[in-house]
This record gives sequence, structure tokens and C-alpha cells, in this order.
Amino acid sequence: MLKYLLKRSGIYLIMIFLTTSAGYFLAVSSLKPAVLEQEKIPRPTPEQVAASFRGLGLDPEKNAWERYVEWLGGIVTRWDWGRSPNGAYVNAEFADRVLVSTRLFIASIILTLIIGVALGVYSAARQYKFQDRVITSYSYLVHILPAPIAYFLVQLGAISINEAVGERLFFVTGISTPGIDPGWPAFVDLVAHYAVPTFAMTIFGWAGYQIAQRQYLLDNVNADFVRTARAKGLTRNQAIRKHALRVSFIPVAQSIAFTIPAIFTGGFFAEAIFAWPGIGLWSIQSIGLQDVNVATATLAYGSVIFAIGAILADFATTLVDPRVRVQ
Amino acid sequence: MSTNTTPAERLRDAGLYAPGDAVLSVRDLNVRFNSENGVVHAVRGVDFDLMPGKTLGIVGESGSGKSVTSMAIMGLLPETADISGSVRFKGKELLGLSDKAMCKHRGSDIAMVFQDPLSSLTPVYTVGNQIIEALTVHNPTMSKQAKEARAVDLLRMVGIPSPKDRLKAFPHEFSGGMRQRVMIAIAIANDPRVLIADEPTTALDVTIQAQVLEVLHTAQEETGAAVVMITHDLGVVAGMADDIMVMYAGKPVETGTVEDIYYNPRMPYTLGLLGAVPRVDTATKQSLVPIEGTPPNLALPVTGCSFAARCPMVSDACLHGEPELISVPGSETGTLDHKAACIKSGELSGNADAHRIFHAPPKPVSKFDGVARTERDKVLELKDVKKHFPLLKGALIKRRIGTVKAVDGLSFDIREGECVSIVGESGCGKTTTLLEIMEFHPDQVGEVVIGGVSNKVATDHKTKMAMRKEMQMVFQDPTGALDPRFTVYEVLAEPLENLGMPKAAIKKRIMELMQLVGLQPDHVNRFPNQFSGGQRQRIGIARALAVNPKLVVLDEPVSALDVSVQAGVINLLDKLRAELGLSYLMVAHDLSVVRHISDRVAVMYLGKIVETGNVDDVFDNPRHPYTRALLSAIPVPDPNLERTRERIILQGDLPSPLDAPKGCNFATRCPVFAALPAAKQEKCLTLEPPLTSEAEGGQDFACFFPDGELDAEMLVVHA
Repeated sequence: MLKYLLKRSGIYLIMIFLTTSAGYFLAVSSLKPAVLEQEKIPRPTPEQVAASFRGLGLDPEKNAWERYVEWLGGIVTRWDWGRSPNGAYVNAEFADRVLVSTRLFIASIILTLIIGVALGVYSAARQYKFQDRVITSYSYLVHILPAPIAYFLVQLGAISINEAVGERLFFVTGISTPGIDPGWPAFVDLVAHYAVPTFAMTIFGWAGYQIAQRQYLLDNVNADFVRTARAKGLTRNQAIRKHALRVSFIPVAQSIAFTIPAIFTGGFFAEAIFAWPGIGLWSIQSIGLQDVNVATATLAYGSVIFAIGAILADFATTLVDPRVRVQ
Repeated sequence: MSTNTTPAERLRDAGLYAPGDAVLSVRDLNVRFNSENGVVHAVRGVDFDLMPGKTLGIVGESGSGKSVTSMAIMGLLPETADISGSVRFKGKELLGLSDKAMCKHRGSDIAMVFQDPLSSLTPVYTVGNQIIEALTVHNPTMSKQAKEARAVDLLRMVGIPSPKDRLKAFPHEFSGGMRQRVMIAIAIANDPRVLIADEPTTALDVTIQAQVLEVLHTAQEETGAAVVMITHDLGVVAGMADDIMVMYAGKPVETGTVEDIYYNPRMPYTLGLLGAVPRVDTATKQSLVPIEGTPPNLALPVTGCSFAARCPMVSDACLHGEPELISVPGSETGTLDHKAACIKSGELSGNADAHRIFHAPPKPVSKFDGVARTERDKVLELKDVKKHFPLLKGALIKRRIGTVKAVDGLSFDIREGECVSIVGESGCGKTTTLLEIMEFHPDQVGEVVIGGVSNKVATDHKTKMAMRKEMQMVFQDPTGALDPRFTVYEVLAEPLENLGMPKAAIKKRIMELMQLVGLQPDHVNRFPNQFSGGQRQRIGIARALAVNPKLVVLDEPVSALDVSVQAGVINLLDKLRAELGLSYLMVAHDLSVVRHISDRVAVMYLGKIVETGNVDDVFDNPRHPYTRALLSAIPVPDPNLERTRERIILQGDLPSPLDAPKGCNFATRCPVFAALPAAKQEKCLTLEPPLTSEAEGGQDFACFFPDGELDAEMLVVHA
């Protein structure tokens, strides 16, 4: 197993290297930070701009290959992902951004997974009954609702709760209140900030899992092996719980790999709307700011998250499906 | 039971007069399903009593309601099914019990073995886990060790080698036959009184079928259970069953002892079925009995005899009122009344001739019949054709760890007007051989000559096209082989358009073809799904014949069809061969069909021909031990013969082509080899036996000890 995981990790490392390199070439040839410098007042001369960029390792006169070698050398020798046109170090901001994003998403990722799968099972067991129709219709409705609108609706709801109570129970934006006392007040403050975005992303996030799990379970409810289990003397529900459920979870486990990066990239809206300046927001902003190094670094991070998700999915699949167990 | 009883009376009779010692009494069982086309009345009044230790065979074609009956008894039908009547286990009513209450009986009193062993076991649990589960459900207090020991015993009983280790294996690590053994082990885990086997061997190879039937036999002996054996194969039940119930359109149409049914059928349907099955043990050069038409639609109310539309003896009286299942005159003696649901059962007494009644066509005569084989042209010749697949391992860099010799040096020829069949178990290379012939590429190993054109010289498109015109193919699954969005006209026109035939000529040709294969020419604008399975296969045959080929390759042409329909298609193939002077190359697993239709046969084992020759020579006097085993594995629809004959039960499955032995491929499973003294065994293990004949004109076979004694352990006789 360990050998298998190492082998997979090796393959993913190569893939991450290739995507990141390709991303760097794309960024370096299309993003031109000098254009933005021209809008500064007083307007700097092109020579000034070039000189300042040269100092930052963003020399516009070098060709793409030279800059790539220089950039890659920085990473390999010093783990230095370069600097922004405004002089900031990518490394310095990166860790904070990742932490913000991870904190924002981790709870809702786990909750969507658990709730989605559970509701999928619940609705499949009651196919075409009232509960199933309500749950599944809700999932389809959420699927067609754009994320920004959904999040705004939740914010409006939180605000109206605050107004109804007459007290500020929930914060609809921001990470924490500055200058709060540590200990209990800090924890209450954290929950108050955390509740709204997590709630919003969860209730609009589980739809995919619910629909998939319901579908896969229904495919297996009438499988021959469930019939065999019933013929042994298990009730229908026991047979479904013990035999159909595990088989139907195999494709769901695989789909997790592709959902984790999707949440990460789709996180731009959540980070923007709830004002949690995380890595999704950073990634989009960096393109607007013609920031080659940040754009590439966020892309690399996306690839890493994808690889971790894929390895997790491999791991989950081997856990639930003996047919793919490796020798 | 008298003739005119109401269902209520029959139910009361069931309670009062059912034989007290019957383990299972079914009375007036009716099952209805709601479908988009209305209520389908799938089972219409099934009555039977099953005595302890006895075997009841339920015989019928697909859609006759035999599986639905068994599922209704088990309480496994969907909740939406409307079930009425009575099912009593030792006097206790089972119908109407809740799922939970029924669970006490399922798996302990009544157990079931299903048709498809590949999908009937949960893929994610070990077989040990699944057997132990069956024990746990009914014996919650049993200790873990006791359950494990019992599971090992069960696996040993069904003949799984090293059962202790195999407990931890997953279903995908077993072959189909082995999985069916596991299914049987699960079914008999709690010593059931009734064991229902629903087509338990239909999905298996004949040699494996023989093994599994043997296991079922052992299981019945060990547990003393009564068995309900559901099958479409009259051969399978002939040797096993005590009583037979023939079902048609959801209703039993004839019941009786196995002798009554096989030797004295009193219902035209039974008679037709028996005549429709070709026999592997006799060289009948007679056409099969075709039963024209299709079973009735059970969504429509039945007004007369449900078989009337297909019955050659039909009269006006048959169309008014459905005949009751009543005792046939002069048969009250046996253990079980011989009953038939036919108003003309009296006319059928004695030796009714199915061929005459069903107007079986005369055996067609081909213009080549009088010509000696050596004087006819070769339409296909294979010279040392090989197909080896490399077995690779590794994710990025593949390395070769072995070779699968799917086809390993095949040579044979087909002359004008003859049918050559390739037989063997799945995995022996039959289909690969066909694919190699169809491939027809200069880079192939070995030479394929079709109509005088060799694959070594046919490099340009034009010669290849000409070759394709000579040879056409009919596929196994008629539904999958026809584009559902093409009308029959388009299906048949496509090959003709490829040849550049003018439109008017195409139209004329299609009308000819429709008539040729026995379809109505005005149905050309229908889509394939508007035809029955047999008709679809006729369309497939018409498509193959469209371009007037000399050779037609038939890949399991009738294995997807019901027995009665199969007979019609076989007769058609026979007729076309005679009328058009066609040659056939057929691949089939059903040796009875092969014997009926072929002139020559080649038996394949692990990519090699082990015996080949005239079909009667090979079948009547098989020389290679594998051929002998294969032939002895085929059940014959003749109860007396089936009960007394000696059978060779091969051990194990077809070995993986990777482990192919150095000498004779078959040595690992060979019954002769097993009985040889060690000195002689050495020869089999080191030298490869050549394919040669012993006498001039006899068949060729590849065995050093063709008449060797058979190992006693592999011989079984049920006395």
C-alpha cells in the first residue's frame, strides 16, 4: 500500500510540475504588469519601471524561457516563489491565504460530504415518496442557483435574524473582530463569524453528493446480490444497508477527488462575498493585477490540492472496494 | 380436484386436502404486475405439492412465469406485485407475511440459488463473510469459531479446494462455476427443507454445468431438502427431477412424473418442446420441430387456450374458454396424476409424432450432398494461425510477464456446402479464431485463405472488399447486433449500398431476402425492437446473406434464443445452406445444436484443436479424453438414459492460458492422465501430442492414450 501511494505521489508530482510550468509560461507571456505601472501618478518612465521590475526578478526584457529558469531556480534552491509587482513576497502572504481558505472551507467540505451522502441514502430508500421528492427537488433547485445569489440570500437571512433579535448574533462578513479578548469571547466571536459562510456553503453544497449517492444506491438496490442477501434471511432494509450501500459508495468516493479542487476554485465567490481574503480570491485578483508569480503559485497550490484529493480518492476506493486492492 | 372449481374452493381444498406431509404446497398462485401497458398477469394459477426430498422441475421458456413463481414463494417480488393464492410451508401460510416475518423462513426453511453467479455475490465482501452472514441471521447465538468451522465444511461440501484459505477470498477471485458453488453453500448453510434453484447452470459452460449439477445433487443428499429446479433446458431436469411441471404463459400446462412428461406428453406444447431440442447422443438427420409464433401478451385477458395461436392442432373449441389442468385419461396410476391443460390430450396418447403434428419441414438436400468432400472447393482455409497476446505489467513502463496463447497454431479448412463447428469451453479461443479470420490482415501469424485469396497477398482495399463479399457474419446477440435506429430496410440495404448496387435492385433484393428468411416483406419499415428475438436473428441472417456470400460465420447463432424459437432458426439455417449452397463456420457451446447442424467439428482446448473430424465420428466415438468429457457433460432429454449413464466430471476450471502446461495442455484436468501410471504420465507432461488420425478417414485427435482407462474419481453414475 505504501509503495503504491508513493508511486502515485510520484506521478502526481510530475503532473503538478508540468501544469505549473505550463501555467507559468502562459502567465509570463500574457500578464504585463508594466501596463498597470503606466497608470500611476506621477507616471514612471519605462526605464524606471524596468529597473524596479528587474529588482523584483520580473525583468520584462528577458524572454519567457530565461525568466522560467530564473523562477524555477529560485524555487528549487531557496523555495522562493518570487515577488509581486508591488514588491511583496509571495511566500510571506501565501501561508496566511492558505490558512484563511482552509479555515473557511474545511468544515463545510466535511459537512457537505456527510449530509449529502446521508440524505442520498435516505432519499434512495424512500424513492418517489414525499421525503425523496422534497430532498431531491431541493438538490436540483440548488444546482441551478448561482453561488453568489445563494450566498447573498443567506447573508440577508442572517441579517434579518440579527434585526429580529435586536443584537448582532452573526457576522455576515469578515474573519474576526479586531481587538477581541482571547479565550471565551474570542471563541464566540469566531463562531459568530464562521456560522454564516459555513452554513451557506453547506446547504448549497451537498446537492451534488445527494444526487449522486441516491442514484448509485438506486442502481444497486435491485442488484442480484441484494436479492441474494434477502434470500439468506435479511430484511430488505438490512440487505440494502449492508450490501448495496457499500457498493454504491465506490463511485461517490471517487468523485470526492474532483470535488475538493472544485470547491477550492469555486471558493472565489465565497471568499469575496464573505470577505475572507483567501487563496481563491488572491488567485483571481492576481490576474487582474498582472501578477505572474502569484497566479502561478495559486495554480500550483490548486494542482497540489487536486493531487491530494485524487490520492485520497484512490485510498478511499481501495478501502471500500477489494477488487482494486493492490498486492 | 374436479374440473369446475372456483378459486375459493380450490384454496379451501388446499387447506383440507393438501398432502399432509408436503413441505411446500402452492395453490392457485397468481401474480400481477402493474406496467405501462396495463396489468400483466405473469403467473396464473400455479398449484403444486412438494414432498420432502423430492425434486420438482419447472420447465418453461422466458416469460412463462417460472421465475416469478419462485420469487413469489420466496417473498422476493417487489411490493408493487399483486400476489394472491396460497403458499404453505409445512402447513403454515407464507403469503401475506411481512418482510420481517418472512425473513425467519428465507434462508433457513426455504433457500434459493440464482441464475447469474457473477452478479449474485456482493463484490465487496469475502465469501466467508457472506456465508457466515447466512449463519448469523438464523443462529444469532452461534459462536464465531463454530460459524467459521461450518463455513469451511460447507465450502468443502460444494467442492472448493483449500476451503479454509478461500474463506478470505473475494468473489472476483473465483470463476463463475466456483461462485455458483459458493451460492449453493450459502443456500444450504441452514439445512433448508426446500431449495429453489432458478436456472442455476444457464450461465455456465457445459463441463462446469455438470460439476454444479453434481454439487446440487450432493447438497440435496446431504440436507435431504426438497428441490424446485427451474430451467428452460429439458436435458438438465431429465436426470434430476422426480416430477415435472411445464409452464406456458404463466400457467402450468402439463404436470406429471418425469416419465409421463418425457415419454408420453399429452399437451402439444410439451410435445413441441421435446421435439425442438436437438439430441447430442443420436445422429438424427431430421429437421427439428419448430413452434411458430410467440407466446401471448399477458397484459391482455386470456379467452381461450393460451397456446392456441401456435398450436397446429387448434380447433374452434380451443379458442373458447381456457382449458383446465385435468388428469389425462388412463394415467391415474403413478405417484402423481398426469395432468394436461388441453382438450385434445386424449388424441395425443401413445406415440404422437411431433414432426408430423407440427409439420416439421423435411430435411433439406443440398446439391453438394452427393459430392465427395475432397472434390469440393475450399471456401476457407487456415494454416497454422496463431494469436498470442502479451501479458503486460506495470503502470508507466510495461514489461512483458507472459504470453496468452489464445489461438496457437490452428489449421483447418471448410469445403463448399458444409458446416464446420468449433466447440469448447469459454476461454478456449473459439471467438478469437473467428476474429482472426475476420481480421484478414497480411501481418497476421499464419495464413487465412478465403475463397482462394490469401491474407498474405490481399493488401489492397479492392481484394479485401471482394473477400468480405465472400464471407459474412451472424452474431450471437441479435438485439445488440442491429442498430436500433435503423429500420430493417436500412439494415439490409447497407451492405448492398456498399457494393454500389442500384436502388431498384436493392429494393428487389431486400424483398427476396425477407422472404428467404421467413419474414413478411411488408415489415421492412419496422424497427428491430418491433420484432421478437427469433425474428431479429432472422434479420441478422438476412443481412449476412444480402451480398450472396459463400461462407457465413455464425457466432453462437441461437444461444440467445428460447428453445422453441431456436428450432425454427436452426431449420432456417439448414434450409439456406442446402438451397444456396452456403458453407458455415459456426462457434457454439451447445453441442446438441452442433451435432444437429454440422458436418464437421473441431474441439478446441486452450487455443489448440484437440480433436477434429466428421461430426458423427467425433460424437459417436470420441477419442480425446477432453471430447469424451465434454460430450458426457451434456444432459440428454431422456430420463431413463440420464439416470443410468456414466458421466465424466472434470475437476476444476479451464486453466489460465498463462499456466498452460509444457506437454499436453489438458493433462491437468485429464481423467485418463489421472489414471495413468507415473511412467506414462511423464510422456504427457513433456511431449506435446500431435494432431493425427489413427485410421484412414477417421477423425484427427491429439492424445497419446486415446483409449486409456478413466480415473474412477471423475466418473459418476446416479443409480
